[in-house]
Amino acid sequence: MRNTFNIISAVVVACALFLSVSCTPGSCFEETNSYLKATFYRTSQGKPVPPDSLSMYGIGKDSAVYKKASRVQPALIPLDPSASACGFLIRINGVDDTVSFFYSTFTHLISRECGYTFFHDLDSLAYTRNIIDTILIKFRTISTFNEPNIFIYY
Amino acid sequence: MNRIYSYITDISPVSRCNTYLLPCMSSRCIMTLRTGQATRWITVLRTIMTFCFIMTLFLLPGTAFSQAGGNAEVKDSVDIPLKIRTGIDITGPAIWFTDKSILTAEAYISTDLNEKFALFLGAGYSDYSYSQYNYDYLSKGSFFKAGMDFNLLRPEIAAGKYWAGIGIRYGISSCLSETPSFTHENYWGSISSAIKPYRIMGHYLEISPGFRAELFKNFSIGWSVNLRKLISPGQKKDLRPLWLPGYGSGESVTAGAAYYISWNIPYRKIRVGLKKDEPEEYYDDDESGGSREDRSYRSISGSGAGNRLR
Repeated sequence: MRNTFNIISAVVVACALFLSVSCTPGSCFEETNSYLKATFYRTSQGKPVPPDSLSMYGIGKDSAVYKKASRVQPALIPLDPSASACGFLIRINGVDDTVSFFYSTFTHLISRECGYTFFHDLDSLAYTRNIIDTILIKFRTISTFNEPNIFIYY
Repeated sequence: MNRIYSYITDISPVSRCNTYLLPCMSSRCIMTLRTGQATRWITVLRTIMTFCFIMTLFLLPGTAFSQAGGNAEVKDSVDIPLKIRTGIDITGPAIWFTDKSILTAEAYISTDLNEKFALFLGAGYSDYSYSQYNYDYLSKGSFFKAGMDFNLLRPEIAAGKYWAGIGIRYGISSCLSETPSFTHENYWGSISSAIKPYRIMGHYLEISPGFRAELFKNFSIGWSVNLRKLISPGQKKDLRPLWLPGYGSGESVTAGAAYYISWNIPYRKIRVGLKKDEPEEYYDDDESGGSREDRSYRSISGSGAGNRLR
């Protein structure tokens, strides 16, 4: 009898503790924006080498994503959730190229604390070849996670 | 890259745990913070009062339970009335009085199969709303659960009036989930959107240890702590539900508590043989086989086994 009571009491206390912990209000510390992650490769060396200088502007936007930033690896490229395509002017070591991304967008719940964000599925891309040699699509789902999505060879 | 949010918290009774995240440190946000601190003290006091109220409810059946078996006579067997029990959970309405964002109503019916086991069927309705700085959420639906209750008390203590044990249930939750509005900001600007109502069918398991005592003739009160494990949220990973009726927040494991009042209808009596604590040393060799069997208690349905126990 005493054992039974003790067991039930222990379970109840454990549940009460769990209840109190699970009800502790949380705050959002997770990444709330999904970025296309671009890793830079030197074609001549065949290995990841970040550019000495990188600038990036969304086409039609005044503000820069990167402005003469050095040693950026990977570059985090924000796509426009309200459109199915967007373009960027990318200046690598002082040479300009444009890259356009074509994608679909879907809603994703991050967490109760952080709310919703948009993920994308990358369909295709187009680019000029002034300094960029090739762009390979590695992983099509663009999310808040850390998988590299494209490799930019320059 | 990671944004750091300042936040204030509205601690709602029995833990609605609403968190308002403010993505800036502007003067408006700081003013909101000061106002939030004042309301926070009120809500903390409200939480303490709710906690005291709930603890009182928890202790009440325990007191009745502690009186059970005090004047138990030494008997070989005891008559246990089997009952059909129907009741309601009053924590849902109690929470709703302090926090209008959630209404849960639950009722159940259980039938004793014998002195140990009872079949449990429960059903309920839930209406839930939640607001954050960047989204609103609504969930409305019903749930159904079925399972078994196991009484761990000895029959002579339980006597058909007291129950201390564990319930195991399987639950199905069906609701309409909706996000009327949410906003998202990134390099390209701010976007407002919404997710239209969609139906979700979730499945979960529940373990409910607790106590129940008959306060008056055929009227019981009791409480249980409910630990739940989500088997299926009923929706793809990207839009998993924030709230499932009968289950709670859409986490993989949730906990809750229930306080039941119930009405009992006795429908049959069974005689249960009692287990003896100390083995007797003076049984006849001729009857030794039978005496050993007699030490384990079991339901007596009237004929053969019952005669042996008497």
